[in-house]
Amino acid sequence: MTGQTNDVSELSAEAVNEYVSVRIGDQLFGAPVNAIREVFTPQSVTEVPLAPSEVAGLLNLRGRIVTAIDARRRLGLPPREAGDAGMALGVERGSEIFGLIVDSVGEVLRRPSAELEPVPAHVDSTFRSMVKGVHKLEKELLAVLDVSAVIGAAAGAEAA
Amino acid sequence: MDDLISEFLTETAESLDVIDSELVRFENNPDDRAILDNIFRLLHTVKGTCGFLGLPRLEAVAHAGETLLGKFRDGELQVTPPMVTLVLESIDQIKVLLESLEATGSEPAGDDQPLIKRLEDAAMGKLDDAAPAEAAAPAEPEVPDDYDQDLGRELRPGEVSLADLEAAFQNAESDVPVENPADTAAAESEEHLQAGDFDPELGRELRPGEVSSAELEAAFAAAEPDPGMEPGTPEVITKNMSTEEALATAMAELKGGDAATGEGGLRVQQTVRVGVDVLEALMTTVSELVLTRNQLMQTVRGLEDDELKGPLQRLSAVTGELQDGVMKTRMQPIGDAWRKLPRIIRDVSTDLGKKIELFMEGQDTELDRQVLELIKDPLTHMVRNSADHGLEMPEDRVKAGKSEKGTIKLSAYHEGGHIIIAIADDGKGLDTKRIGEKALEKGLTTHEELARLTEAQIHRFIFAPGFSTAAKVTNLSGRGVGMDVVRTNIEQIGGVVDVSSAAGRGSHFTIKIPLTLAIVSALIVGCQEQRFAIPQLAVRELVRVGMGSEHTVEKLNGASVMRLRDRLMPIVDLQGVLRLDGGEGADEEAGFVVVLDAGGRNVGVVVDNVLDTEEIVVKPLSDSLRGVSAYSGATILGDGSVIMILDPNGLAGDIVSAMEKESSAEALAAANIDMAQTQRLLLVRAGGEEPKAVPLSLVTRLEEFDPDTIEHTNGHNVVQYRGRLMPIVPLGDQIQCTEGQRQPVLVFAENHTSIGLAVDEIVDVVEERVDLQMGSDREGVIGSAIIKGKATDVVDIAWYLDQSRAGDIQRRTSKRRRRVLLVDADAFARRMIAPLLAAAGYDVTPTGGMHEVNSIAEAEEQFDVLVGDPAALARIQSEGMWADLPTVAVTDWPDDGSGEGLTAVLPRSDRSALIATLDQVSQQENAA
Repeated sequence: MTGQTNDVSELSAEAVNEYVSVRIGDQLFGAPVNAIREVFTPQSVTEVPLAPSEVAGLLNLRGRIVTAIDARRRLGLPPREAGDAGMALGVERGSEIFGLIVDSVGEVLRRPSAELEPVPAHVDSTFRSMVKGVHKLEKELLAVLDVSAVIGAAAGAEAA
Repeated sequence: MDDLISEFLTETAESLDVIDSELVRFENNPDDRAILDNIFRLLHTVKGTCGFLGLPRLEAVAHAGETLLGKFRDGELQVTPPMVTLVLESIDQIKVLLESLEATGSEPAGDDQPLIKRLEDAAMGKLDDAAPAEAAAPAEPEVPDDYDQDLGRELRPGEVSLADLEAAFQNAESDVPVENPADTAAAESEEHLQAGDFDPELGRELRPGEVSSAELEAAFAAAEPDPGMEPGTPEVITKNMSTEEALATAMAELKGGDAATGEGGLRVQQTVRVGVDVLEALMTTVSELVLTRNQLMQTVRGLEDDELKGPLQRLSAVTGELQDGVMKTRMQPIGDAWRKLPRIIRDVSTDLGKKIELFMEGQDTELDRQVLELIKDPLTHMVRNSADHGLEMPEDRVKAGKSEKGTIKLSAYHEGGHIIIAIADDGKGLDTKRIGEKALEKGLTTHEELARLTEAQIHRFIFAPGFSTAAKVTNLSGRGVGMDVVRTNIEQIGGVVDVSSAAGRGSHFTIKIPLTLAIVSALIVGCQEQRFAIPQLAVRELVRVGMGSEHTVEKLNGASVMRLRDRLMPIVDLQGVLRLDGGEGADEEAGFVVVLDAGGRNVGVVVDNVLDTEEIVVKPLSDSLRGVSAYSGATILGDGSVIMILDPNGLAGDIVSAMEKESSAEALAAANIDMAQTQRLLLVRAGGEEPKAVPLSLVTRLEEFDPDTIEHTNGHNVVQYRGRLMPIVPLGDQIQCTEGQRQPVLVFAENHTSIGLAVDEIVDVVEERVDLQMGSDREGVIGSAIIKGKATDVVDIAWYLDQSRAGDIQRRTSKRRRRVLLVDADAFARRMIAPLLAAAGYDVTPTGGMHEVNSIAEAEEQFDVLVGDPAALARIQSEGMWADLPTVAVTDWPDDGSGEGLTAVLPRSDRSALIATLDQVSQQENAA
């Protein structure tokens, strides 16, 4: 067993992992259900001048300030078309809430954790650092997001 | 059990803090029974509780300390500093044990025999026999019995029963009527404590999270079945109660007892302990409520519906009250943060052999506990610093003509929503020279910049990162992480720290912090469609700029500046700093400059508009944004949108670094010249329609005389002015005496004589950069310049003065005309000073810059004295030219400390001082 699958099994007591499927660019990703607090539509995001580029801004989620992280920018993808706000995955990290902005959110998928495969070594290292592994679905690959890495690197980026 | 221990820990930590400071007081007043009784009782309680909880090590140490204290109390031993130190040591040991208890939940292994032995030896030092001391302590009918038992070593560690504890409480209780109230009152007033905050019987103030009944009285009235509880009701303390409860009950009883003496026990002072986390949660909830209220208000404002307005008004009022109430529960007297200081000062004075007295004032000043926690350490550090670096050794103090004992004075007071804390010492003050050198060494400034800084500005370098002037690292302070950490901590909570210092007389630190962090008043500004909040604390004023305003933002070598009351203030464009996209150039547009206080400096921030002021709830920034120095937090506005809170220091930091990038020598020199050329000019009309300009700095007064009072003697016009005759010289061709109109006169005073310059009309005062376009051969005119769009003659005051002094030929009798080299980059200054000196009998060679100076030096010309701006003179000196000549600097800023190494620094406006100084130094030169 690789380290990555161990991580996943920690997240789920069963041998089955549940993922919220999201689309970022052309790629299908899965965010572990238990890492996600909620899914919401990002509204009136306040841009923060001088902020690291992946910080899309701040928004008000029922009285709490949420730092919106643009998953596209984190993955080095071109920005969404103007006017497309996308969807956001609410992630709680310590006392903070982050909103990970993705293009769209799909259904919840269940996959046996044993089927998770490591990301092949020739894949771009930025991508690999934020993805825990890959599930082979029938038609396409589901890249399992390491949500805290996506958020965490954003948090650490400016400190460096 | 865990709860019990954690309660015990809090309780005991407080008691120990009190013991610390009380011991220090006791050392100074060994005869004060009240203090000793208090200490004794506190320590006894600690010991008793330790026994109850089964903490033998702690108990043994407390016991030994108590034994020694008992000897003091019984008068068997003299109180000496070493003895007190020993007791303090035992207190420290207890603290160490408590720390590990806190960390691990149990007492650490080991024993304290050496310390206990020393304590016992000290206690036995004089008397082996622990005679019962009942007679010596009539005020304590029970405790001495207890104590005797202990002394007889019958009670071993761990054997103190609950009964014992109860007895202790009851003793304390029975003390109430016996204790001399006058003593207590005296002791309290000495410390500026207020009854009610400080319970002398239990010896502690209200704790964090303890809510005084004042706030919650109504609630308790309902919950408390018997408010007039009889002191000593036996069932009040039962075995089922935790120690904590027992203590609280005992305390309530004590307070009841207090009240009983006054108002028949009806006003029971009650407190309840509430966990800090509960208060925090409450605060957060209230913050949310405030936000929601704001949001509702905003929505309803746009509606016509009157039905909503009434209830909303009430909701708003209730929310406000709730906010106030919750805020109050968070308030703590600042004295809580000062409690440790007497002990620290004592230790410092013992360690360093200094004599220090600590005065505290305004302990009752309350502030939010969160703020209190955050300033505790900085304050302690600053007081230590004052004791360690600020105050001198006793012998040095005596030498300096001061009293042997140094004083440190701490004071706190409220001022408009802020709390001001001052730490003043009467020590040697800050060493400006050393701070300057250090700042250079650390690369914080350049020589040129340093020369232009005022003393106060140089002093502020102590707040720069990594700055520490302590020649020697003591174990107290001076590890190089001193004042900058203090500053950072204070700025983090939106505060400001500043220092003023006078050599030989001491330093004075002031800290200005907001009362609370959670909800602050802020100015909402707009810039390029975005809104930002600026804390009101930092806003000094708002200035409208641009269209229709007298203020404009000007460019100085690419940097923006604005004139604000004769000072140039650096300006930062918010749009530029935040790199906001702006379609059109915002420079020309009308806007506002928000003048911010950034670390004691005024910095203007250009914004497009000022929208609102709002009470905002400050939310901390996410980690991913914490690195951006321009923000201190974020908040949610009434309309639900999130906006960033700007950090004035962060914004100013950007300016400063931007300024540093440009701070090449040229930029500085250019700035120098440009600033020097801004002159205030008095525009007058005399002998013709065209205006004439007189530098305002030369004019002593403006007067108006009745034409009748102008007399004519010996071919001169004179008036009687302040008991003397003052000659009046017409600025025009002649004095135009219009009947019934008073004659305006510019008065120039010099060497106790005054000269009046009669003009037709005083037109205006303008501030202009004077650029002399044309020189003049005409007498009495320096040249012409464009002022307010008109060609204006600049009057040569020196020539007129000379005229009026025609009779005063004394000056002209000098044997040899002394030669003066005048160096001033400012052409206008040269033009003003040169004739002046010439009139005074000097031969002047004016030069504008180092080029000219160099060529004159190559020609090996000789002079008697150098006159000029300080920077130029310093440059000449540093290049070793005319090394032994006196140097007299003339500057608009004579007090900025830039005159080091020069013979004299004089204000440019003081002509007579300049001539007097020149006469004096060239005279000396002659004599030499």
